[in-house]
This record gives sequence, structure tokens and C-alpha cells, in this order.
Amino acid sequence: MTKRTLLYAALAVGAFLSVFPYLLVVLTAFKTRTQLNSTPPWLPAMPPTTANLAELLGGDFPHYIANTLLMTAALTAGQLVFTTFAAYAFARLRFRGREGLFWLYVATMMVPGAVTVIPLFLIMRQLGLVNTWWGLLLPYLLGTPYGIFLMRQFFRGLPASLEEAARIDGAGPLKILLRILLPLSRPALGTLAIITVISSWNNFLWPLIITSGDDTKVITVAIAGLKGGIGVDYNLMMAGGLIALVPMVAIFVFFQRYIIRSVVLTGLK
Amino acid sequence: MTADPAGRTGRTGRSGAWYGYLFVTPSLLGVAAFLLLPVLIVLGLSFFDWKLLSDPMFAGLENYRRLADDGAAWHSVWVTVLYVLLCVPLQTVLAMILALLLNQRVRGMRYYRALFVVPWMATPIVMGLTWNWIFDPRGGALNGALSLIGVTGPDWLSDPAWALPAVALVNVWQHTGYNMLFFLAGLQGIPSELHDAAATDGATPVQRFFRVTLPLLNPTMFFVTVTNLIGAFQIFDTIFVMTDGGPSGSTDVINFRIYNTAFKDFDFGYASTLSMLLFVIILVVTLAQVRFFGKRTTYDLS
Repeated sequence: MTKRTLLYAALAVGAFLSVFPYLLVVLTAFKTRTQLNSTPPWLPAMPPTTANLAELLGGDFPHYIANTLLMTAALTAGQLVFTTFAAYAFARLRFRGREGLFWLYVATMMVPGAVTVIPLFLIMRQLGLVNTWWGLLLPYLLGTPYGIFLMRQFFRGLPASLEEAARIDGAGPLKILLRILLPLSRPALGTLAIITVISSWNNFLWPLIITSGDDTKVITVAIAGLKGGIGVDYNLMMAGGLIALVPMVAIFVFFQRYIIRSVVLTGLK
Repeated sequence: MTADPAGRTGRTGRSGAWYGYLFVTPSLLGVAAFLLLPVLIVLGLSFFDWKLLSDPMFAGLENYRRLADDGAAWHSVWVTVLYVLLCVPLQTVLAMILALLLNQRVRGMRYYRALFVVPWMATPIVMGLTWNWIFDPRGGALNGALSLIGVTGPDWLSDPAWALPAVALVNVWQHTGYNMLFFLAGLQGIPSELHDAAATDGATPVQRFFRVTLPLLNPTMFFVTVTNLIGAFQIFDTIFVMTDGGPSGSTDVINFRIYNTAFKDFDFGYASTLSMLLFVIILVVTLAQVRFFGKRTTYDLS
């Protein structure tokens, strides 16, 4: 009995610690500068103020949000389309060099992003794409080896008999992929989409390096810029944070099972 | 992993090969241009002296000689290793404990599981700033809570002794729950007969965990530690907003040094050499894990 109570107490503490920083973002975003100093951080402001959000949303933030949405949408679309085609080819089509090529992809999964940042910047500089949309998007637009690896695992898990009938009826690879495999792949594609949305939305280092003007500024870079201001405006920073976190939390609430499923996709279950 | 029967049945005639190449081409362009080519460039540039404004000059091993004597760079390596040691073991053990707790037929398990994963999706930049606020010596939540029990907390992020553990704690907070998902899935894949058999043989719960559960979780442990280590060695975002490498270089991790060398000092040749160093470190650590787990992993238990 007491053992059971301890178990639930430990879980409750863990859950509270997981959520507390989010709670703090919400509480602080609605405080004035004075309330920030006069109320304990874990208590809400009385009365709450929307001045911080109004200041950000009345300024350039809507533009940065739009930029981030555009980047996230483009990268997710690119990832889904190109990853699906490549993973299908690796899982189901026969062509010379298939296995060698696939293991080359797997090997590139070991290349740390931090190592490629400098050469990527130099490539974009050579192509004249620094501070452009193409420069921001291109490195991640054509599908990542990790995504291809996950989708290939998933396609290989589907019974081949599904396609046999269609093939006997004379359907080509494209038709088989679009008509038979894709409808069955919604859970896997959903997971891949969610992972891509989250990593694109949260990405910081590459946008920081490749963009400099407002035209392509994304929300992570804008929020990091709030810190450079005068004094310590945690109320303003947390308002910016709230704007960045709301879409992520919304995705989590509605698509939670896809995130849980990402574990299954790695083939470890 | 060799091609399984499902992979072999793709008999689509001659056109199949064409479709194969066609479907792979876009991603292959991406891999070649934005993953393989950059590795070659960074390797090549590490032998050049290039301050971006001037022309690159071949310098042979000059950058590597400079690296050998560069105390600040090795300090960064040391800080990075410390950071990795502070967060990866802790977040792995905590994740395992959470998974074991959740695996005990907990009521509302789905809700706890969801709440534990919430930190994983947080924007690192935002959470860096949020934890700045938590660690704030004046009015921050942590020292506020400590003062309630009569403890005066340190000036976390301005104290060279506490800044790195504080940043590491953010990483632990962010990744523990997501790691837990993998351990939980692994635990649920272990047939209960194995535990029952061990229990009948008189094994205590602790013995059962170390002799039965843990060895069977090796594939999960491998995946979790490899991905966590690779990620931790590249830590950047939270350092950037929380400490800027300070105080007095105590959080100056290698990826932050690479960034500053390239994009503040514009010393792209030497920054490439530092990148190669990070690459080699990550490669060696990963291969060591492959060997370690390769010897100890039992497959196919169902």
C-alpha cells in the first residue's frame, strides 16, 4: 500500500518537473516588469497583462512567425515526398547498387550536424544563397537519411502480397506506391511529419548562420535576439517563448500518439 | 541486416530499375551535396589558412600543429566531455527508473507517459531562456524555492562551478522523458515468463533487473546512449542563450568554440580543424559503443 503511494508520489513529482518550465513561461508572459519583481515566480500576476504579447505581436513577430511556418511547411513537405520515394525504392525496387547506396545513407547518419555547418555555409556562399530562402531550406529539403531509414523499415514490414495482385494487373511502381502503400503508411508518415515539424520549428544554429535580415528571420533567432536587449526582460522573453511553444504544445495534444509511435518506427520495440 | 524476402519480391522487370534510380535521385543529390561534400570540404579546409576575406592558402599540417598547442581548444574538449558526463549517464538512469515505475501497471499510465515526453518538444532556445529565469539569483524560481527552506542558493549561471551543471540539467530535463519511451517499449517487449522463471529460481528483484532485464534491454540501451552522446557532444543552443560560453570559459564547449572561430573570428581554416576534431571524437565514441554493445547483445528473444 505505502509502496504504491510512493510510486504515485514519484510519478507526480516527475510529471510536475516536466511541466513546470512550461507553466513558468505562461505565468511570466502575462506579468509586467514590476510584477516580475514583486510576485513570486510561481504565482500568477494579478491582474494579468497582455502588454508583452501585444508588444511582440504588434511589432515584427507576426512576420517571423509567418517565416517559421513557411520554413516548417516547406521542409516537412520536402521530407515527406522525397523520403517516401527513396525509402520505397530501397525497400521494394531492385536496382544495381541498391544495398551499397543504402549503407552509404546509413553511414551519413553518423555525420554530426555541427561538423557540416561551416562547409554548408561556404557552399551557400559560393552559390550566392546566403540570406535567401533557398539557402535556408536547401540542406534539409531533399529528405534526410534518418527519415529514409525509418520509412524503409516501415515499408519492409508491410506484406509483399499486397502488391502482388496489383502487379499482376499491370500496375507500375508509381501506381503501387501511391494507390496501395501510401494509404497504409499514414501512421508512419504522420510520425515522420511530426518529427520534421518539431525539428524544423526548433532549429536554431543553421538559421542563425545563414540568415541575417528580417526577410528570412525565424522565431528562434528572433527570441534569442530578445536577450540582447537592455536589462533582463524575462516577461518579454517568456511572451516570445509562449508564442513559439503554443504550436508545439497544440501538435502534442492532437498528435501525441504519433510521437509515442516514433519509438516503434526505429524497429526497437 | 540483409535483404529480407519482402525486399526480394520487388520483381518489376527492367522498368523497376529505372524507377529505382528515379526515386532515389533527389535524396541522393541531397546526401551528396549537403552531407558528403561538406565532409570533404571540412577535411580539405582543415589544411588551409583561410580568413574568408583573403584567398585560402595551403598550410599543410599548420592548423593541426596549432591545435596541439592550443590550450583553450583542449579546455573546450574537456568542458564538452564534462558536460557529456554530467548529462548522459544521469538522463539514461533517470529514464530507466521512470520506465520501470511506469511499467508497474500504473493507473493513468498514458497520461504520465505523455507528460514526461512534453519537455522533448520544447524549443531549446526558449527553454534556455526559461531556465535562465529559473536559475536567476534575484527572483528566480529555484533560489526562491530554496530560500523557503532556509537555503541561500548560489548565483548559478555566473558561478564557474555551477554554470556547466546548470546547463547540463536543462539537457537532462529535456531528454529524460523521451528516452523513457524507448526503455518502456523495451521493457514491454520482455516476455514475463523470463522474470517468473528467475523469480522461481530465487532471484531478488535487484538480481532480476541486473541479470535479466538489463541484458535484454541492450539494443535499446545502445540506441539511447548513442543518440544521446552524439547529441550532447554537439550542444550549442542552450549554451548560446544561457551562458555565452562563460563565466570565464567554464561552459565554452567545442561546438560553441567552432562557431565563434568561424563566424566571429572568420578563421574558417582553423574552425574546420576544430570541426574535424569534434568529428573524430564523436566517431571514436560511437564506434567504441558499437563494439561494447555488439559483444553483449542477445537478439531474438521472442
